[in-house]
Amino acid sequence: MSEVTDLEFDTSITREELAKMIDHTQLNPSAEYKKIERLCEEALKYGFYSVCVNPCHVSRCAKLLKDSDVKISCVVGFPLGATTPEVKAFETRNAIENGAHEIDMVIYIGALRSGDYELVKRDIEGVVEATQGRVVKVIIESGFLKDEEIVKACELAKEAGADFVKTSTGFGPMGALPSHVKLMRKTVGKDMGIKAAGGIRDFRSALRLVKAGANRLGTSASIPIIEGMEWMKFSDSWFIEEIPCKICPSRFASLSKQPSKVFRYYKEKCKTCPDKEYNRFYEK
Amino acid sequence: MYGWIGEILRVDLTSGKVSIEELKFAKKFIGGRGLGVKILYDELEPKIDPLSTENKLIFATGPVTGTRAPTSGRYCVVSKSPLTGTIFDSHSGGFWGPELKFAGYDGIIIEGRMKKPVYIWIADKQVEIRDASDIWGLDTHKTTEKLVKETDPKAKVACIGPAGERQVLISAIINDKHRAAGRGGLGAVMGYKRLKAIVVRGTGKVDIANEEEFDEIYDESMVVIRKHPITDKSLPTLGTAVLVNIVNEYGMYPTRNFQEGVFEDAEGVSGEKITETILVGRRACYACPIGCGRITKTSKKEGEGPEYETLWAFSAQCGVNNLEAVTHANYLCNELGLDTISTGNTIGCAMEMSQKGFLKEKIEFGDAEKLVELVEKIAFKEGVGKELSEGSKRFAEKHGCPELAMQVKGLELPAYDPRGAQGHALAYATSNRGGCHLRAYLIGPELLGTPALVDRTKPEGKADLVRNFQNLFSVIESMILCVFSSFALSPYHYAKFMTAVTGLEYTGKDLMTIGERIWNLERLFNIREGFGRSDDSLPPRFLKTPLPEGGSRERTVFLEKMLEEYYSLRGWDDRGIPLKSKLEELGLSR
Repeated sequence: MSEVTDLEFDTSITREELAKMIDHTQLNPSAEYKKIERLCEEALKYGFYSVCVNPCHVSRCAKLLKDSDVKISCVVGFPLGATTPEVKAFETRNAIENGAHEIDMVIYIGALRSGDYELVKRDIEGVVEATQGRVVKVIIESGFLKDEEIVKACELAKEAGADFVKTSTGFGPMGALPSHVKLMRKTVGKDMGIKAAGGIRDFRSALRLVKAGANRLGTSASIPIIEGMEWMKFSDSWFIEEIPCKICPSRFASLSKQPSKVFRYYKEKCKTCPDKEYNRFYEK
Repeated sequence: MYGWIGEILRVDLTSGKVSIEELKFAKKFIGGRGLGVKILYDELEPKIDPLSTENKLIFATGPVTGTRAPTSGRYCVVSKSPLTGTIFDSHSGGFWGPELKFAGYDGIIIEGRMKKPVYIWIADKQVEIRDASDIWGLDTHKTTEKLVKETDPKAKVACIGPAGERQVLISAIINDKHRAAGRGGLGAVMGYKRLKAIVVRGTGKVDIANEEEFDEIYDESMVVIRKHPITDKSLPTLGTAVLVNIVNEYGMYPTRNFQEGVFEDAEGVSGEKITETILVGRRACYACPIGCGRITKTSKKEGEGPEYETLWAFSAQCGVNNLEAVTHANYLCNELGLDTISTGNTIGCAMEMSQKGFLKEKIEFGDAEKLVELVEKIAFKEGVGKELSEGSKRFAEKHGCPELAMQVKGLELPAYDPRGAQGHALAYATSNRGGCHLRAYLIGPELLGTPALVDRTKPEGKADLVRNFQNLFSVIESMILCVFSSFALSPYHYAKFMTAVTGLEYTGKDLMTIGERIWNLERLFNIREGFGRSDDSLPPRFLKTPLPEGGSRERTVFLEKMLEEYYSLRGWDDRGIPLKSKLEELGLSR
């Protein structure tokens, strides 16, 4: 079987099936209570898998979603992943007490890049233990990592007993990209979940990430994505292939957002890329 | 009937006869644009002069007009355009449309011509043709104030200003003082008929077939509108002018008559700058949760606007960076009754002609004072304004440089350079009413990511997207809703609204078929007038000369490739004529 390319889409999926894969997300620090209330109403109405919120909103969501199928995902160590393992474990326990069903934790990125894998693993294990069997998603913030570091992060998450690896926080240098999801899927195999998150704004990007191997999506554009799928009924042209560079991590590499080593790594890749003939963009 | 009133008013100005007719074609053509096109196709003789007694002017509402459906405060005016010679529908928001519906009419057909200026006063079922000699010559604001005083404090006024009276080919019909059925010179048709205004007061209501179903789809669509970043945040906060910096960044902001795609002073005449400086309030049309209207105040006066297209037309297009002057030009257009897009575009065209030595008169890019002066001259047909009042196509042709007119089928192009978005370019070229961005707003998928972001640089697949958007927009403008609703809503929502309001079953697919029917009937109308494949084109600049800099540099439009695919998908032959089988399929064969 030929390998899925970054440009392919899963067009077999229904609205309802896609909704059940979405963590309906509101992580804006300025979000008022009414936005959180609306988030829960929307999740109930559309049948999203969960709402994904900051720890301070978990108990509010728990009240609003009581007796429903909609789960509550809570971020931990978010968005920098730079708190200590003890703090992440405490934050996790607190979130669970307040009613969270799933934890989306950010790894200690600097430790991973320093090769301190023991600490990264211990950090994840602490959260896994604190959830007492609930679902843990490990955010690796792929935009800060080279491919081999993505692989290592996924391996550590798997070894630590996490349930999902997740691409990004949405606050980092890159959002979810098909090539990263594919690499993550290849690394963790079929039995672990992959959550793509960050920059998923329409049904095209959602369906492309599903095809690449994601089985959970984190997005605040859930409703435009689901409603946009209506347009698929009238035209196949939504899925006409596009120029590969537009969804390549190298295109999103940014010296102002990434460490210079990582930035150079992605830019160097362009030179040997089989699609380099398309790399002639200056426009958005 | 539910949704529809079931009655059309016919006013023959030549005889002064007023009659009421039963509404026909509602199921097949819905209302608004579709209804107007059907009536004109059936009733107008081919090749008539748009400024003659033979032309008709239709003011139409749709089945959802006057309900609570979000953005349903619109009406449209349909006629044969004196500017383009095509079928033409021009739309406006505000409150006039619902008021006509409350008065008990789905539309008004205006025929013939009066000997002296008149206005029509409609108070529910009372219809009078009244003398307008004392208001002829007044601007649209004074006209509105006087007519409201003369009739009913709650009356709504749609009228023409001095430009329409003088049959300026780029004149508009203005309602509620600041809202314009701007495009296509339909104000001139009204002026030719010596009809100064239509004043309406309605006290009825629109019957909805299934209130419960209506409430459900209303709630459902409000969730979507409130959740979409464009309808919930961008448009309410910054108005349509939010687009200035976005489109400029893409290198598609037409500058100095489309010679460039980046305006160096865009930030100073942007939505953000309006908010910082002259904005004093927001205004929403009837039943609109978006509220993109801007109330502004300059050192001279208070008014509404400028909206994105107007802002562009008087700033980047003319190289002017003076927000006060641009706003003042906008106010003048509203008061004198001019289409801001065509006015600014035509002045920009004259500026390039002057730059390249085609004009004796010096009209320089960046000259803010001259800009404002020319707006007035166009409205009153004074000096060079007399020639400019005929639009850019006629003006540039007259001076031997037709290629400098940035128009399609005679209608001036709006504020997106087609070289930066292939689908949008095709939408311009194939538009039934000429250079228009709203027949199919491909800027949605190509720039803004609604409903999904597609590669704007590629021509592949664009024909199909353009066809789909054209079909859907034909329906939206027949129901009638604001096309801004389509940022958030999908065919599903429109079908649910139609079903709940009318009690007739519609699916999204049904609506797309109706849209296709309307589009094809418009095409047949234009073919009858002599339009064909050669008119589905763009000014040569877009096909041959790449943009010099910015986010769309080195790009031209691959029109022929897309056009062939488009005709084939439409079921038209290679001359762009609908095949018999297509007409039969749509129920349009005779």
